[in-house]
Amino acid sequence: MATQLDVQPQLKLRPASRVMNLVRLGSLHASRLSFSRSLVRQMAREDWTVTTVRSELDEQGHGAVIYRLQTPHHTYHGVMFSQHLEPERRSDRVIAEAWDVTFALVQGEVEDTLLEQMAANVPLQEAGRQHPRLLVLSRANKSLRNFDHFVEALALGHQPDPAWLTRVGYLYRTTAVYGNGKFGIADYARLQKNPDFNRPFSAQMFAVYLLRHFSIQQVEHLARVRSVDRAVGLAPALQRYLGIGNSTGLGMAPFLINHPQLIQQWVYCRERALAWAREQPPTVVSRLQLMTLLHRAHQHFVETVTEDGEQTQRNAATIVSIAAVIRWLDQMQATPNLWEELLDWADDYCSLEAQELINTLLIELYPDLIDAAENELGCEEILELQPEMRVAALKQMIESRFAWALDYDPKNPDHHYWFWYRSVEKEEPRLGVRSDEHGAEKELSLAIGPRIHRTYQLLDAFLDRSPRGSVVEFLMAHPGQKECVRRIQTMGATPYGEIQANLWHRGMKPMHLLRTKLSFFGASRFDPKSDRWVRVTLFQGAPLFCELFSDHGTDKERLAALDDWSFPVEPDSDLL
Amino acid sequence: MKVSFNELQGMGRKAFIGIGFAEGDAIDAAEMVAWMEAHGLGGVAALKKGLDYLLTEDPTEALTLVYQDADFSVLDAHNHSILGNASLAVELGYARARARGLSVTKIGRCHNRVLVIGYLSRLARRGMNVTAFWRNSHEPLIEQVVGFKAGHPVPEICVYSLENAPDDTEKNDGITLIMANHVDLLPSLRSDYALTNLMRQTEEDLERQRDSALVEGLEVDDQLWNTLKSLADRLLVEATESSRSGAGSGASDND
Repeated sequence: MATQLDVQPQLKLRPASRVMNLVRLGSLHASRLSFSRSLVRQMAREDWTVTTVRSELDEQGHGAVIYRLQTPHHTYHGVMFSQHLEPERRSDRVIAEAWDVTFALVQGEVEDTLLEQMAANVPLQEAGRQHPRLLVLSRANKSLRNFDHFVEALALGHQPDPAWLTRVGYLYRTTAVYGNGKFGIADYARLQKNPDFNRPFSAQMFAVYLLRHFSIQQVEHLARVRSVDRAVGLAPALQRYLGIGNSTGLGMAPFLINHPQLIQQWVYCRERALAWAREQPPTVVSRLQLMTLLHRAHQHFVETVTEDGEQTQRNAATIVSIAAVIRWLDQMQATPNLWEELLDWADDYCSLEAQELINTLLIELYPDLIDAAENELGCEEILELQPEMRVAALKQMIESRFAWALDYDPKNPDHHYWFWYRSVEKEEPRLGVRSDEHGAEKELSLAIGPRIHRTYQLLDAFLDRSPRGSVVEFLMAHPGQKECVRRIQTMGATPYGEIQANLWHRGMKPMHLLRTKLSFFGASRFDPKSDRWVRVTLFQGAPLFCELFSDHGTDKERLAALDDWSFPVEPDSDLL
Repeated sequence: MKVSFNELQGMGRKAFIGIGFAEGDAIDAAEMVAWMEAHGLGGVAALKKGLDYLLTEDPTEALTLVYQDADFSVLDAHNHSILGNASLAVELGYARARARGLSVTKIGRCHNRVLVIGYLSRLARRGMNVTAFWRNSHEPLIEQVVGFKAGHPVPEICVYSLENAPDDTEKNDGITLIMANHVDLLPSLRSDYALTNLMRQTEEDLERQRDSALVEGLEVDDQLWNTLKSLADRLLVEATESSRSGAGSGASDND
């Protein structure tokens, strides 16, 4: 079904050379099209309800808890297993073998036999064999300092200091959230006809959101265990300010490269939304709305803490830029060209992260139109060959659509400095230095640029021999080129076909790849822990289950207010 | 053991690369096996039957074009599995049919022919009508015909034995593909012919099978799975202390 966005005749989309630049992609922020935002809107709109059907936490907070989720269409259960974990076993890496909490989202009922099977396998994660009715499998580790502080404060009858959540915005951080058939769980294809979870990663996002709910219940339980008389519940404002962390590394990179059509769809939907937003005539109201959003985002970044030097500088640049934008906008009237002038001005005077923040906030202003795009974020990933295409046309396609790939210089050692591989240790994706480390012969073929360059060279030579040759004839001569050719043909027909970077290049920063994906998930508080490892926060500021219920009304204003939780700021401790 | 479609496809892809397939061929081969299994067409059994051959084949040996004109192509697969780069023979037929309206492609001397169905679904998705025909044995003579209608994700399949076939000494190790841009080529049994219908599967049968596979998972025997895993493990790189520490945050997670 065509959406309003589809019928806009000539949207001015930003060029792929700008949008798909890796450094710019690595400057993206969560937006209203991010999966976590989209899920919360859906839960509120459709009145999803969550109830606790079994809670067997002991005095240490260990044991099983089962939640029941009822949507208008189906019933699901979230099953959480909490256990004691020795500190020396606590690791966020995929090579870990035990976690503080393991959990799964199940379609349908959890019968005793299934619970028994899950109890034996879910805590093992990758090492277990999981049931095909599980939609999501995940695990999380405690933020020990926050967790202890929260339990202690609540047990003493106090509210925890909100500043703790500003420094680290969660009690638990997930270290993997598996979907799509991993370790025996249900394939994504099973969800494609299910209106509850047919959007990309929506089942995974729900599981993470449920963990947030569990984390609140668990600290409140432990506080009561410690002091039944004095313990208090966590204040609603702090519950809202509490998110769930995610700790992630290079594992995200192969997904981005191996799902080019999905990434194109995500970027295309966002860029279409931006193009439409910038064409809307600004009004006094929308100008003021943007100012309000800018002020809140400014405060969010003022409060954001990271130990990483480079990210600290980037945050500082964002703060300076946004303050300047607010001053600039303050002097401007809501003239018809205001949005265009703002974006042009930002190009000249704002940091990259700030430019993308302005884009994100502009999209916020037009929910009625833009939210329709959230149903278009998924796609089936199929690279198709066009064997009848002339080789000359394929070569021309590379020149016009993949010129960035032709910048690769095989003679320059910096251009093939890195190689990507999977380690024998739980298949963890890693980066090696080609000239120093062994294993390059087993590298993952993630560097699309150099591959296209190689194909181009072979096409050039083939054309000399067969000027009217077809692609299938080229492939009969060079069968190893099939995958690259069909990728070029498929992605060449899309506006945002590929991330335009050489992933072998010495100057390539893997962090940009991680941030690209995480921004679409809805992550905030980017906190790099090395050049290839990052912690983020999800759902910080999101409404709680109890706020979503329709008992509070389903009018448009209320739903809009529930949806307004991006770039959260620290609650005032005096008001808790 | 039960595995998901995605697991079978992913493990197959890595195993085929481990054997030495080019990436594109590995992706196609894994998709063919998983697609066939999910549709109840014995993809796993066919792979198990052919895996020993695959391990002795030279995966870099390309199929050879024996004859071609504008409508008709004959290729020699050199007694290799259809899982290798035979997909290019199919693509050649597709390109010819796009140019000429109809094409006939014969692939001689190939194994695992039933798995080709998994690849033909790609062509149907691209709007091509496709029929594949092959014979399985001499005593009794069994013919298998698979027909995809353009745009349909699943085919109709007929398998039947012939009771009074004329003498024929040619080896039954080839496959014939007919593709047409504009007309349907669905198999239809002739009731007045002396044959025994062994199997007829409609599009609905296959779609039901797929839906059930997504709910129940796919059955793969442990031995085959372990073999695939050991082949996939050929792609893994030994760890060193520096590789281990370099991939993480380098800090304690007890914070």
